Amino acid sequence: MKYSHLIFITLLALFAGCNQSTNSEKSKENKIVIGISMLSMQNEFIVNINDEMQKKAQELGAELIIVDAERSPLKQIEQVESFIAQKVDVIILNPCEFEASSPAVAKALAANIPIVNVNSATKIAPTAFVGSNDLESGRIAMKFIADKLGGKGNVVMIQGLNGQAAQIQRELGAKEILKEYPGLKLIAQQTAEWDRSKSMDLMQNWIQSYGPKINAVFAQNDEMGLGAIKALQDAGMKDKVVVVSIDAIADALQAVSKGNLDATVFQDAKKQGAGAIETAVKIAKGQKIEKELMIPFQLVTKTNIKEYLK
Amino acid sequence: MQYINNIRQYGLLIVFGIICLIISLITPQFLTVSNWTIIVTQVSINALLAFGVTFVIITGGIDLSLGSIVAVSGVTSAMLAHPDSYPVLIPISMGLLAGLLMGAFNGFIITKSKIAPFIVTLGTMTIGRGLALILSDGRPVSNLSDSFNYLGSGTVLGIPVLILIFILVFAICSIILSKTILGRHIYAVGGNEQAARASGINIERVKLSVYSISGLLAGLAGILLASRITTGQPNAGAGFELDAIAAVVIGGTSTSGGKGSMAGTLIGVLLIGVINNGLDLLNVTSYYQQVVMGIIIIGAVVLDSLHQKSNS
Repeated sequence: MKYSHLIFITLLALFAGCNQSTNSEKSKENKIVIGISMLSMQNEFIVNINDEMQKKAQELGAELIIVDAERSPLKQIEQVESFIAQKVDVIILNPCEFEASSPAVAKALAANIPIVNVNSATKIAPTAFVGSNDLESGRIAMKFIADKLGGKGNVVMIQGLNGQAAQIQRELGAKEILKEYPGLKLIAQQTAEWDRSKSMDLMQNWIQSYGPKINAVFAQNDEMGLGAIKALQDAGMKDKVVVVSIDAIADALQAVSKGNLDATVFQDAKKQGAGAIETAVKIAKGQKIEKELMIPFQLVTKTNIKEYLK
Repeated sequence: MQYINNIRQYGLLIVFGIICLIISLITPQFLTVSNWTIIVTQVSINALLAFGVTFVIITGGIDLSLGSIVAVSGVTSAMLAHPDSYPVLIPISMGLLAGLLMGAFNGFIITKSKIAPFIVTLGTMTIGRGLALILSDGRPVSNLSDSFNYLGSGTVLGIPVLILIFILVFAICSIILSKTILGRHIYAVGGNEQAARASGINIERVKLSVYSISGLLAGLAGILLASRITTGQPNAGAGFELDAIAAVVIGGTSTSGGKGSMAGTLIGVLLIGVINNGLDLLNVTSYYQQVVMGIIIIGAVVLDSLHQKSNS
């Protein structure tokens, strides 16, 4: 009985390990083949980058092999190894982690296959990077709060999953601005793990302990910002509290146009996705590239929301 | 048997009381009606999962697919809850049906194949997550009707709908477990499956029932979660099964089966909610929160077992 369980689990693990990485052979007609390992296809933002990559690849006539690392750096390294074995022309990596995904970059470079990082960085520098600097998004968000409150008031910060690059950068960026405004006080900070319902719970608890003392909320992503708004609305406090978050997902844009969310910071998934494919194709053709293609963030408020609503 | 269970709950209740006392001494906001309304609302979704899985654990089984069922039912109901599509009963009943079917699937495979529930529900967990992603195309389903959102944030006579559902489900589950033939059979199957079979109990039917109930309640939890956060998310509910199982175990239900009660699970659920709420009120750094939570969970169970020993 015990044995059969073991065998079952082993089979399951094998099955999960070798998923789609062998499905596409390099085509004979000299098409550029790009192997892509994405952080997680369960994340709307990442899915958006992915969709744009496919569009751009079709336009430029490149063939893509896209695999999902499901947030596992180990899986990501294995996927890059299989790209190397398949002899793809270029690899695009959407890293799971700063440190742990670095070996994937090292392996590609050692095998003389150019590698482009998209959206987030790794410790080891790739051939090229396409993305945005998360420090900037934290700065933009906190600057908006500072302006809105006239440089004085109490702020709470809802953090993403502790230790992730985006969480660390957004916190650092926000704290840089806080230093410039001594009148702004960070009275509480806590993680809600990027999750809307966890953020709603956290905000409810903060409303209990701080109540009307809270003047502004900085949520490190839109999901959490929307959760905080729900809690503030239920407590009848939304009118008195400024809420800002980051990413500009569809729900957040709706909330900005309705006036519930004061601002969100737009990270351009489309430009990141298209930029990554363009860079990869240029590398394959031996053309000149920008080593770091930075896509700027943009502040979205009620005044410019129309440009972002589709 | 009943007597021992009572003592066990009594011990847990003391632990619960002590923790509440400590938090309320440090922060005056803790013991207010509004804060308790929030605590009970916050735990209500975990409570539904925990009540359902209590039945399963008493039979000696386990259900790891709860979180994925939450996602499937949440996405299913959200997709049907668009303001100008169907009346609100349709998304609710389809969400419940999705949960029930997944639970029944668990029960069916477990009884027919004799594969351990751990493995079967692990498989369903992965299948469910995939289904939720397929249904929703990997994106949150939003723009839900007001009547659907009412479930998660509305009130009746000043009491949140979530709390009313929580109380109702607790009452029904308690009655099923302690006052019905099915309840007695659940204990019998978990206590000694061979003896239960010998005494003529239809074990397959009992197991099919408990996994179906667990799935149905997870379906309900998924609907309420989607309604509460006004969106059906394919990655919702990840890890929820562990919170639910933790609450059941804290509540004194034995993972080897045959022992346990709904009242114990209720206290377990509230204990986790109180700790979460208290640590937020005290603004304990999130790094420490996780450590404190783990220590308190282990501590509660240890204290409870010491208490039980000294009473027997």
